Order: sequence, then C-alpha cells, then structure tokens
Amino acid sequence: MTPSDSDVALMLRVRDGDADAFRELVERHQRAVINTIHRAIGDAWEAEDLAQRVFLQVYRSAKRYQPTAKFTTWLFTITRNTILNEHRRRSRHAAESLEALQDPADPESTGWQAPDTTSPDPAQEVIESELKKKIMEAVQELPEAQRTAVILCRYEGLSYEEIAQVLRCSVSATKSLLHRARLTLKEKLRGYYQ
Amino acid sequence: MSCRAIREQFDERLDGRLARSQEAAFDAHVAACPDCRPEWRAYAGAWEIIERQAGIEPSFGFVERTLRRLDEQPTVGRSWFWQPSVRWVTLAAAVVALSVGGWAERERRQERRQAELYAHVQQADYLEDFDVIANLDQIEGGNHL
Ligand SMILES: [Zn+2]
Repeated sequence: MTPSDSDVALMLRVRDGDADAFRELVERHQRAVINTIHRAIGDAWEAEDLAQRVFLQVYRSAKRYQPTAKFTTWLFTITRNTILNEHRRRSRHAAESLEALQDPADPESTGWQAPDTTSPDPAQEVIESELKKKIMEAVQELPEAQRTAVILCRYEGLSYEEIAQVLRCSVSATKSLLHRARLTLKEKLRGYYQ
Repeated sequence: MSCRAIREQFDERLDGRLARSQEAAFDAHVAACPDCRPEWRAYAGAWEIIERQAGIEPSFGFVERTLRRLDEQPTVGRSWFWQPSVRWVTLAAAVVALSVGGWAERERRQERRQAELYAHVQQADYLEDFDVIANLDQIEGGNHL
C-alpha cells in the first residue's frame, strides 16, 4: 500500500469516527502542515495553532470526504485556505495584530530553534543565519499564489498537477507562477548563491 | 537549439521534466553558451539555495494538543463585533429602535430586520469555516489526478 493509499484508508476510518486513525493522520502530516504554514507566515507558534485548525477541519470534513482526490492535495487545499483566512483576519485586525506580531522574517524573534545544521565556525554560522533569514524573507514576500506554488513544489515535492489542484488553476498557470517566482527569487537572492 | 528555446526550458530542466535527449541537448548548450551559462547558474542557484531553509519540528505534545481541540466550536478569528454578547445586544437594539414606529409598519420592518441580522450573524459565524471547506467540494468532485 502506498502512503497515498494508506492516507485514504485512514481518512475513511476517520469518517467512521475512528480517533486512532485521526491521530495517525496528524502524526503523519504534522510536519508538512506546520512547515507549509510557517514558511508562509513566518511565526512558528502561530503556525502550530493554524496547523491544529487545519487538522480540526480535516476531522470535521471527514463525513463529506470522498477518496477521489489524493489525500495530501486535499490536505494542502485546507492548509492554503486556512492561511488565506489568517491573512484576511490579520488585515481585519491590522492595528492590533500586525504590530503585535513578531518580525516574521526573523527566526530569532519566534523563540524557535531550527534544527542546527550549521558548522561550528562562528563566522560561518552568521553567514548561514543571514542566508536563512534572507531566504525566508524572499519566499514570504512573493505574492500568495507564487509563494504557495514555491512551498509546495520546493519543500513538499508536489507535482505541477497537484499544485494546480491546490491553487485551483491550470497546470500552465502553475508553471507560470513558478517561473515568475523563480525570477523574483533569483533577483532577491543574488549574491547568496554561487 | 536557440538560446531562447533553452531559456524556455529552464523550469522543466529544474523540475526534471525534460526527456533524456532534451536534457542532454540542454546541458550541452548551457555548458557551451557564454550567455546562457550565467543565466542558468543564477536561475538554478537561487532555486537550489532556498532548500537550505530547513523546516521546523513540531513542538512536544503537538498531536495531543490537537486532539484536545476536537471539541472546539468551529468559530475562529472573529472580530469583537461578532462576539455573541455584542451581536445579541445589536439585535436587541435594532428591535427596540423599530418599536417606536407605527405598529403595522414596525411589525413588517422588524421581521425584515431580524431576518437580515440573523442571516448576517449566521454568515459571520460560518463564513471562515465555510471558506475553508468550500473548495473541498470542488476538489472532491472535479479531481483528475
Ligand atoms: Zn545560449
């Protein structure tokens, strides 16, 4: 059974009220959902809160779930809509939220420690840290559809067709989004790559 | 192959979507062409480097906390105006205001106003969750994976 098949099997059990199946789905996909949100909004704690809302939506929608779509496509569609709602909520509460939010581009401000993959050389660590900050900024500053396409393609390994489904656009539009995003990233990250 | 044709294949080359023969022709051109080589290096370099942004790990107890939220009501991110107390005070105020008019007119207007407010409140209650779920019907119904 492929992971995709077993996701569908789990989801059908969730539809029948099986709590263990739901737990397994959360365990299996928590990292992808949290990271997709984190890369889009930048705040690790808020990313977890929103990721929980995504899984709650999965649970609540289980009764209507039909295994016609690949589960992860469905899951990322819910994730994207949850992020869009969050952006809408933030713009409604701009005065109170935006100022209160920590600098999304600053990984230090989230109180979150990313896994340490840097070298022990302090100078190298500074460079790595600056690079990560720059990458996060560059990705977050992309227009929403481009950003989602980049996150799903680069970090989650979705195909053009799957991304098109999540974004509800054609495959050619998806390619165009990725192309424009790459041109922007090339300019913004100039000097950071060899 | 022309430089323009090569550059139109940048994305497909990056995403591994070129046929083997196309890939060989692409690589040969880029290796030999002084115009395309730096363009390709920059284009591919930026794409490669963003992978350096490592993901974060879920915090301890994430799954348990998620399971504990299962009983939460599906109402999220609402402005103060739509808090239950405020919304019912608003409804009551509208009803009181309408009562100063003529009785028949009041009756008619009250019914209409209440229906509007009720519909508005209902809409606000479920708007966000509806939006999240709305797309799912389309993806469920129109999937062609
Ligand atoms: Zn050339």
